[in-house]
Amino acid sequence: MKATKNAKAFKLFIAAAFALTATLVPLTASQAAGEVRNQACKNEGETTGTFSTSLVCAKNAQGRLVWQRVKLGFTKLPPVPALSAPDGEIDFYHWRAEDRTVFASIIAKFEAANPGTKVNQVISTSADHEATSLQKIRGNQKAGLIVTLRGAHFNNAVAGNLLEDLSNQQFAKRNVIASMMGAGRVKGVQYGIPYHSLFNNPIYNIDIFKKEGWKLPKTFDEWLGYCRAAKAKNYVPMAWMGGFRPQAGQIFNSALMSIGTSEDDIAAKATAIDTGKAEITEAWFKTMAGKYAQLRDAGCFPDNPKGVTEAAGNALFATGRAPILPTGTFSMGGIKTLNPAMKNNMGITGFNWTNDRNAKFTGITNNTFILGVNKTAGATERRIARAFISFLLTGPIAQEYANGTTQHVTVLDVAYTDDDLRNTSSIMSERLLLAPRFLFLNLTVRNLVEDVLIDIVGGNTVDKAIEDGAKLIKQRF
Amino acid sequence: MTNIDTGARKGTGTRSPKPVQSSTKLKRIHDRRFALMILPALLIYALFYLYPTLSNLRYAFTEWDGLLEPRFIGFENFTRTATNDDIFRKVLGNNIEFSFLVIIFQTAFSLIFAIFLLKNTRTSIALRTLYFFPTILSSVSVALVWMFIYEPNLGALNTLLRGVGLDSLALSWLGSETITLRAIAFTQVWFHTGQMMVVYIAGLQQIPQELYEAAEVDGASRWQQFKSVTWPMALPTTAVVLAYTTIQSFRAFDLIYTMTGGGPNNSTNILVTLIYQSAFGEYRFGYAANLSVYLVVFILLLTWVQRRILRTKY
Repeated sequence: MKATKNAKAFKLFIAAAFALTATLVPLTASQAAGEVRNQACKNEGETTGTFSTSLVCAKNAQGRLVWQRVKLGFTKLPPVPALSAPDGEIDFYHWRAEDRTVFASIIAKFEAANPGTKVNQVISTSADHEATSLQKIRGNQKAGLIVTLRGAHFNNAVAGNLLEDLSNQQFAKRNVIASMMGAGRVKGVQYGIPYHSLFNNPIYNIDIFKKEGWKLPKTFDEWLGYCRAAKAKNYVPMAWMGGFRPQAGQIFNSALMSIGTSEDDIAAKATAIDTGKAEITEAWFKTMAGKYAQLRDAGCFPDNPKGVTEAAGNALFATGRAPILPTGTFSMGGIKTLNPAMKNNMGITGFNWTNDRNAKFTGITNNTFILGVNKTAGATERRIARAFISFLLTGPIAQEYANGTTQHVTVLDVAYTDDDLRNTSSIMSERLLLAPRFLFLNLTVRNLVEDVLIDIVGGNTVDKAIEDGAKLIKQRF
Repeated sequence: MTNIDTGARKGTGTRSPKPVQSSTKLKRIHDRRFALMILPALLIYALFYLYPTLSNLRYAFTEWDGLLEPRFIGFENFTRTATNDDIFRKVLGNNIEFSFLVIIFQTAFSLIFAIFLLKNTRTSIALRTLYFFPTILSSVSVALVWMFIYEPNLGALNTLLRGVGLDSLALSWLGSETITLRAIAFTQVWFHTGQMMVVYIAGLQQIPQELYEAAEVDGASRWQQFKSVTWPMALPTTAVVLAYTTIQSFRAFDLIYTMTGGGPNNSTNILVTLIYQSAFGEYRFGYAANLSVYLVVFILLLTWVQRRILRTKY
């Protein structure tokens, strides 16, 4: 059943990749020039634009790559305008402090369009939000709008009967890229709208790669080679943050890409550990953990890696001491805040953990920042929350949010003007997998598994770290 | 004496002398009034302290994710914690080490500073203010500042050590399973020593000057004066400092949570951070409630031992 779900999710994802690419390059006459429907194209996933006339490079029935039109929304109907909100006040629970200003501007527009309505942002760190937000909103009349993370957080919110069914809302059918809604759906019910489309892949410093004449690594051995070359030039090859598990775990997504030959296979292996049906002493896990040791021995990670905080990791990358930030597109906004000179200087690349250039998966994506209406809030507050979500899902507002926060979104009719969002469009040519780290729904197990990998990077032997970790995980069941 | 109008002579139209009440009845009424006066406080206590405490005890016997209905599982949480939870054992060890380090060094430093800054000179007052200053800072701010100091690659401490050629001492202050807990303990000591110093100064200033004068006449050295006068006279203050520091060390949640989140590999996790992680990080509220019971038992035990020692010896 899990495998079927994941197969579905993957199919949705493939379509999502097309659709998202479509949003990366605004449609202009000049950009669309040269691409003709049904004519051959080179890069699968590449697109001419976002709107109904947009063309996407995809395989046709004969398996040839040709320019095609792809239906992005659930229907052919145009997006709907935002709902009007009643008078009142709601709290909007989310974790992106870096988006506060952009959200404030959007909220001001929403309040101007709905006099008498007020939206307050309640922001925690992602870890705190994941840990405490569901308890905070339960039965809280004012907490109309909550953002959940894909995986355990969203699942717990649904299981706890905290999220309203949005399936019949017109904005949930007509304003969004259909293929990206899977992460907010359970058994056919749309409990939330995933607002972000992320790429949890290494971000690289374009100038440094150009200056040093490095090519982007495409296989695991090439990654090891890159690390040795970068280390020899006194760079920290990867600004990996071993002191902060949520970000340290981003490369775990890439590592998991290499454990199976299909998304079902990967899901089955991860779920078996998550549910206690298998242990991390399994051969595939040992092989994967061994690659962490290889990366460590090649000098990929900072010195004293387990003590590198998120702030320090970001600083290493933003200041050019590390050419690669192994987190994802969601970090780019913060990097530009740290060092505005990094604007238009960030690219993205997949992190292939195999030596097969044609590996099944070579990159990671995720649909998250799931907007949901708190079912236990007051009736008026829920109406305001629905209206605010519909407002966020209108093209111009989503475009303001996307370009203001350097964040790809899942909304139709959005044009990206931010250079860094455009630079990351190259990731579309990778074969992307929906972030498998979130297949671990038992956070206790996920944390312990990630601790084992962090421990290996920190210097422990693969066998010892696995043995210790396996014992602790077993005690949790 | 309270006059009570019982209304026994209602309808007479005039206030006549009240009948003599039996002293038992008067006392009962008196007591009832007092009982009514403490009722608001009692209600607040029951609502915000007693009820959560008893609820916690109830949840300790359940498996509960904090959202759905709790499931009663008897003593399973308690037995699992005691017999089959290596993380709990490790965390308990961490807590003991952390508390021990903080209690020893914080008490020692605050006493030493207090002795040196006892006189109310301008320099002493300025230095007291300086040492007390960290106490007024937010604990999260303190944690963030020390994270920048301890950061292994860009941090101030290692930069300084490398700058003076002491590369071998430039350690992984936040990422080592052996030294990170001690590094955080040092931060905790830095954070609260000034506060305890003030308590000591207040205590030491109460020691009669005549005792020192007598000791000097007897030819006692500075060390002998400390050993025979200052230390015994400062013992009541030390008892307060010790009790307060012990409680502080068990409540060092904010520093640890901000600086390491309990990592690496649970090496800086203490009981309060483990309770938080179990409840809010892993949605195991029943198990976390059970850990809270253990925490209360340990604190009670420690307090009892402290009181026994202090009462017996002093």
